[in-house]
Amino acid sequence: MADSQPPTTSDMLDGAASNAQAPTDVAKQYNILPNLIPNLDRHLVFPLLNFLEEETPEDEDTTDITQLKYSLLQTTNMSDFIGDLYARLNGLSERPQEYAQKREQVLEKLHTFEQETETIQNLLADAEVVNNLRSDKESNMRYLKDTHGVTPQMVEQLYEFGQFQYSCGDYGSASELLYQYRILSTDNDRVNAATWGKLASDILTTNWESAMEEVNRLKESIDTRLFNNPLAQLEHRTWLIHWSLFPFFNYEPAREALTELFFSLPYINTIQVSCPWILRYLCAAVITNRSRPGNKTNFLYGNYQKQLKDLVRIVRQEQYEYNDPVTAFVKALYVDFDFAEAQKSLSQADEILRSDFFLVAAAESFLDAARHLISESYCKIHQRIDIKDLSTRLGLSSDEGEKWIVNLIRDTRVDAKIDYQAGTVIMNHPPISVYQQVIERTKGGFFRTQVLSAAVAK
Amino acid sequence: MTSRFFHGDSSSESSSEEEEELYGQAAAEDESEEESEEEEDDEDEDESSDDDDGKTGAARFMRDASDDSDEEDEDKVTIVKSARDKRFDELEGTIRLIENAEKISDWTAINEQYDRMNRQIPTLQRDLDGKAPKMFIKAISELETLVMEAYEKQKVTPKKMNPIAQKGLNALRQKLRKNNKEHASDIEAFRKDPDDFMKEDVVEETAPAQKKPKKKLLDAGENALDAGEDGFTMVGAGGKAMVYTPESILKHLRSIVESRGRKNTDKLEQIRIMERLLDVAVSDYQRVRVLLVLIATRFDLTSGTGSQMSQEQWKLAQQELAQLLGTLEGNKELVVVDVAEEWEDDEKQPTITAGELFKIPGTVISLVERLDDELTRVLQSIDPHTAEYVERLQDEGGLYTNIVRGMLYAERLRAEPKLDYSQDNLNRIVMRRLQHVYFKPAQVVNLLEDNTWKAVPENLDSKITPRSESRDVNHLVQTLAVYLFKHSEGILRARAMLCEIYHLALHDQYYKSRDMMLMSHLQDTINSFDVETQILFNRTLTQVGLCAFRAGLVYECQTALQDICGSQRQKELLAQGLQIQRYSQITPEQERIERQRQLPFHMHINLELLECVYLTCSMLLEIPTLAQAGSSPDLKKRVISKSYRRMLEYHERQIFTGPPENTRDHVMQASKALAAGEWKKACEFIISIKIWDLLPKSTEIKQMLERQIQEEGLRTYLFTYAPFYDTLSVDKLAGMFDLSEQKVTALVSKMIHHEELAAALDQVNSAIIFRKGVELSRLQSLALTLSDKAQGLIEANERVLEQRTQGTANAFERQGPGGRGGRGGARGGARGGRGGGAFRGRGGGGFTGGALGSAIRAQ
Repeated sequence: MADSQPPTTSDMLDGAASNAQAPTDVAKQYNILPNLIPNLDRHLVFPLLNFLEEETPEDEDTTDITQLKYSLLQTTNMSDFIGDLYARLNGLSERPQEYAQKREQVLEKLHTFEQETETIQNLLADAEVVNNLRSDKESNMRYLKDTHGVTPQMVEQLYEFGQFQYSCGDYGSASELLYQYRILSTDNDRVNAATWGKLASDILTTNWESAMEEVNRLKESIDTRLFNNPLAQLEHRTWLIHWSLFPFFNYEPAREALTELFFSLPYINTIQVSCPWILRYLCAAVITNRSRPGNKTNFLYGNYQKQLKDLVRIVRQEQYEYNDPVTAFVKALYVDFDFAEAQKSLSQADEILRSDFFLVAAAESFLDAARHLISESYCKIHQRIDIKDLSTRLGLSSDEGEKWIVNLIRDTRVDAKIDYQAGTVIMNHPPISVYQQVIERTKGGFFRTQVLSAAVAK
Repeated sequence: MTSRFFHGDSSSESSSEEEEELYGQAAAEDESEEESEEEEDDEDEDESSDDDDGKTGAARFMRDASDDSDEEDEDKVTIVKSARDKRFDELEGTIRLIENAEKISDWTAINEQYDRMNRQIPTLQRDLDGKAPKMFIKAISELETLVMEAYEKQKVTPKKMNPIAQKGLNALRQKLRKNNKEHASDIEAFRKDPDDFMKEDVVEETAPAQKKPKKKLLDAGENALDAGEDGFTMVGAGGKAMVYTPESILKHLRSIVESRGRKNTDKLEQIRIMERLLDVAVSDYQRVRVLLVLIATRFDLTSGTGSQMSQEQWKLAQQELAQLLGTLEGNKELVVVDVAEEWEDDEKQPTITAGELFKIPGTVISLVERLDDELTRVLQSIDPHTAEYVERLQDEGGLYTNIVRGMLYAERLRAEPKLDYSQDNLNRIVMRRLQHVYFKPAQVVNLLEDNTWKAVPENLDSKITPRSESRDVNHLVQTLAVYLFKHSEGILRARAMLCEIYHLALHDQYYKSRDMMLMSHLQDTINSFDVETQILFNRTLTQVGLCAFRAGLVYECQTALQDICGSQRQKELLAQGLQIQRYSQITPEQERIERQRQLPFHMHINLELLECVYLTCSMLLEIPTLAQAGSSPDLKKRVISKSYRRMLEYHERQIFTGPPENTRDHVMQASKALAAGEWKKACEFIISIKIWDLLPKSTEIKQMLERQIQEEGLRTYLFTYAPFYDTLSVDKLAGMFDLSEQKVTALVSKMIHHEELAAALDQVNSAIIFRKGVELSRLQSLALTLSDKAQGLIEANERVLEQRTQGTANAFERQGPGGRGGRGGARGGARGGRGGGAFRGRGGGGFTGGALGSAIRAQ
């Protein structure tokens, strides 16, 4: 599918690199937008650029971004919008004539498409026909052909029309058309392309649930269809990872599934090989996972620990290739145990998050979770802590810090007391009794053996 | 080329005036030629001097001969003849007798003499390379006419012949008829133009005759020269020296090619003949043909496994190869390919139409490869510490030029659509080039490249490695390797990959080289490759390890070097010398093969340095581990380096230890000091090892080592002495180990977090508080070990079942996320552990594998 190919126009990239007008220097320094753009579809880049524009302070020049948008959308069919952009770029009061012409052409084409696909769309809207459709595509086609005179060409037109609608920015109907096409078509390559197209449409219409379905579908098709072409697999996985960033941070239920997906071996390898900058999002996702409500059941907490461990391992491995405050935070906290450094990178990471399209919503919870992590390992290591010191470590005032610690003690039920007079917290780390350890380790054994023997007996 | 020989001969003695006169020019040219190392000039001069030589060759000879004859007049001395000359004389005598008998028609006598002559002929023929002497031909041809005439006459005249004479005539006629068939062609030639036929003969006849007395005349000094000349004469006697004409070149070549591989062929002789042929060759075609055979014959000189090519011969071969390539570069219509048709007609030259490609059978690439192999063999056999080695090594420059030119040539043929030139050849030559570059530091390669491109004619350029881009060595290696990735497969591809990794590692690009190493997946398949590639793999792995060391990554370095250095077979694994084994079970055959595999000295990785690096890394890892393990029962579980442990034990058993003498002693004593917490002493021992100076940036590496020793010293100290402390101030520790307080805190935090140390930090007093009562009794720790093992057993069982049932065992699903209470971490860990186990297991197929793989996974 043509529009699933990332727009790699070099001028666009250059533009993005030089014009990333982020509010602060830190964010600018670690801007990964130029890395993201080549792996996204034109239409998916647009919201990113919009965000960038919003972030840019009023007094600064946004011509560059406009220019960027303009070259980005030039090949699409959204002629009105492009015309506006052009006008803005060149200081014209109204859009030039050619765009009006183009608009006419587009409308005309739309009209032809509508006419051409009318029959089949009507058919598919007909409940009776739909009821007669089965899972076997071949027989479906035969049925439609025999009873309603549907030709394969008409089906192909659905695809063309879908692509056209997408290009026009009418994502809802594009999604619908591509869905219909996918039911009928037997051309595997095009079905796959349609799936990419539908994912993009769903993302752009913020229809997360079906977007997630598409993500899963694509994941499977990458595994099965391209199994003998590692390079294409890598490429497609890279795209999928980038595309799924949209649902990742915008749709709560997707987070868990996608974290799992990213941590699965083929995808973590893809991240390491071709797009280490995704680690930022992975870090943010893992860390924020902690603070989500209802997640503190024992099992999931263990899972969280495991994810964190994996994350630390990967961040450490990749630090020579990719480094930004978010990963630096993880590294400082879990590899170097340098709390001052962790604190420093945390404040930087906060800025980064606030200027990142995907992470801006998660910034608060990230900060919160990160503080938890700091204090957790701080408490684990220390016996007596100066509240003032801890507060500065967490980036809080003394009073806030005290409150924070009280909450922490209450939430996690650590054995700790505050010595108010000295302004310290005294942690009590009772050593785990060796007997308990042995019991711990052998506890599940009986049950598991039972299951095992049951399975053998079957 | 011949001038070289003469020059060599004459220079060995005090040369006479006459000689100076004769050879002065050639010799002077030769010398200047040798001095100027530049290939291009060399070649030109060579050619021109050859031409000179060619022209003067015959003339010189003649003059020489006439001089001699003048002298001959002065002193008459007894003539000493060689056996062959005697035989010739004998033949001459016989013929004279026949002629005499002819005059009186004494057929019986003629018959007798004829038989005698026939007996003499085979030996003479052998002397002349299977050709009958010309006078013999003349005699028999005349005899035949005579016999025919006599026979006819006898038929006509009624008068009867003497019956005995009659009988003799008849017998002779029979014999002549039979024998003359063998020489039919020669007789034919003779009859056609008796004068012409005999003319050559005359010259040939006179030459040896005139030369003979010389031996007596000349003094001892001249004798040697004469020997050289004599070799020449032998050719002359064979009737060839004088017939080196452009037309006969192909014929000569054919006879040489046919005698190739036969016993008792004098190869040096053949080479000399071909050198002459090369001189007289007029067309590029002839030159190419002669050169192809000539170079191949030079290689044939040393066909045995024990012998190596002499420098002289090698150099000549190299120059001739350059000449060959030059000719082919100059004349683009001629191509040498291995699938061409042989040109059958020796008499005629093929017509080469302009614009059309004319194919000559042969392979240039193989010759280049052979040249390379020969040099390697020479270098293998020379003691690397002699000047000779350096001298021979200098030849590599010329060789490299040849390789590059060969590559350009192959590239050109490959680009020719009509030829269908095999990609394989091009790949091979590219690989050769890569192999000459990959192990060298950038400066050396730069020099090599510069000289090479200077030597290659201006108008030639490579598509693969354009002239303009030859400056950047990393780029060069990468281009060559990438070319091979794209166009080759199997072993060549693997080798190209390894070469590139080696080069990256050599140039301190650790991460890149490591990533490539891992992504190549060679660790899994390397055992199925041939031994040379395995050696290259070992070398590469070692180099990656050393690179990690230079980058300060002790752990990575140790794991990378583990396989090679931990085995005590470094020499064998790296092909850097034969391992002397006490109870050797190697057959001589195996030993020979192994010897052939050895790398030339200049490619070696310094083994002592390697050992030093390995032991130092092992020390930094092992000492804290040993201290941590203390006396717990699973002491033996975590052995990082067996060979290091063995050495350490051996060292500890010694009663008296003197000051360290070798590298090993230094490291061992440093280990002891480090174990006792005396980091300064350990550091001194390590720093005083001399071999660090071999590393680039040795001061930085020493600093790195010092830092590492400080940190590991701190860890060791804490492990060892923790039980004796209640609290310990961070301040004090920082002072003790000369580290910043922050660093100490970070280190201690890390240890606490990983539960290596039962302690906690007191932030207010900045002190470490050790927890008491955590030391386990023996029973307790054994119980813990047991429980661990039980758990392992269950997991193993589960895995087995899972494998057996191919994942269909849904029984495990029922297990669920065990809500069976207990501490969440442990419970989740148990389940996650299983999943994790499978995950790690699969990890082997993904980005890991081999020593390095586990190095990364283990983090």
